[in-house]
Amino acid sequence: MYGWIWRHLPGNAWVRALISLVLVLAIVFVLFQYVFPWAEPLLPFNDVTVDEGMAGPR
Amino acid sequence: MTTRVIIRTLSELCVTIGTLIVLLVVYVLYWTSVRADRAMDSEIDHLQDRWATGSVAMEGARGQAAPPPYAPGASFAVMYIPRFGSDWAKPVLQGTGAETLKKGLGHYSRTARLGATGNFAVAGHRRTYGDPFKDFPALRPGDAVVLTDGTTWFTYRIDRRPYRTRPSDTGVIDPVPRASGFRRPGRYLTLTTCDPEWGHSHRLIAWAHLDATRPVTGGRPAALSG
Repeated sequence: MYGWIWRHLPGNAWVRALISLVLVLAIVFVLFQYVFPWAEPLLPFNDVTVDEGMAGPR
Repeated sequence: MTTRVIIRTLSELCVTIGTLIVLLVVYVLYWTSVRADRAMDSEIDHLQDRWATGSVAMEGARGQAAPPPYAPGASFAVMYIPRFGSDWAKPVLQGTGAETLKKGLGHYSRTARLGATGNFAVAGHRRTYGDPFKDFPALRPGDAVVLTDGTTWFTYRIDRRPYRTRPSDTGVIDPVPRASGFRRPGRYLTLTTCDPEWGHSHRLIAWAHLDATRPVTGGRPAALSG
């Protein structure tokens, strides 16, 4: 998988390394900005109130 | 050859999933707190700016008979608990929605106003989002919980050690909280958070009663300078 990506990147090894780094940073950004904020409420750390039952499921 | 490709792809997949999990842990343990600390500091700054310009004092004088209701999702007070550290100060916002609790402590909107007769109930994260109530079990009878709304300092005193209960036990934020030991109507405060620390099977409750009030012009209450 990673070998396939590497082979399909343009340029010499340095350019490829640079593009890889940018790709990795972009993926981390998308994860922290969009994916994790969506996934985090599914974990139990948000349940700090006593009226969940009355407020409905969340 | 194909076996090699399959095994290689499988290992790459495992490494990828492992990296994802590590990143999620970093996000939950570290990044939510960075974001929340920034949000809470800006809420407190915002409040103090507003109080400094005197708009609250005027509101208080004008609306003595019927103070305006707290705006949902907006901060209206700052809470200090010396037991959690002398620099522990968190904003209190109206409502207990998930988004609200990312920016500070949340006031149960159906409970009493700050300092009023009834039960002023507040929820906060024990872990993640700045860990505001991390040291919740350390609360002891007599501990001060000090709040200010810009015009008055309210000093509440904890009455008993934290009480563990079920999430459905809404009686703990009643005007006269169930199981608190309070018998007659009064000016009470209830704090709620999750228990166990990283779980959600139970809730931890702390009750306090209003011990003293003083105008902001009179200086910080003794509980904070001690």
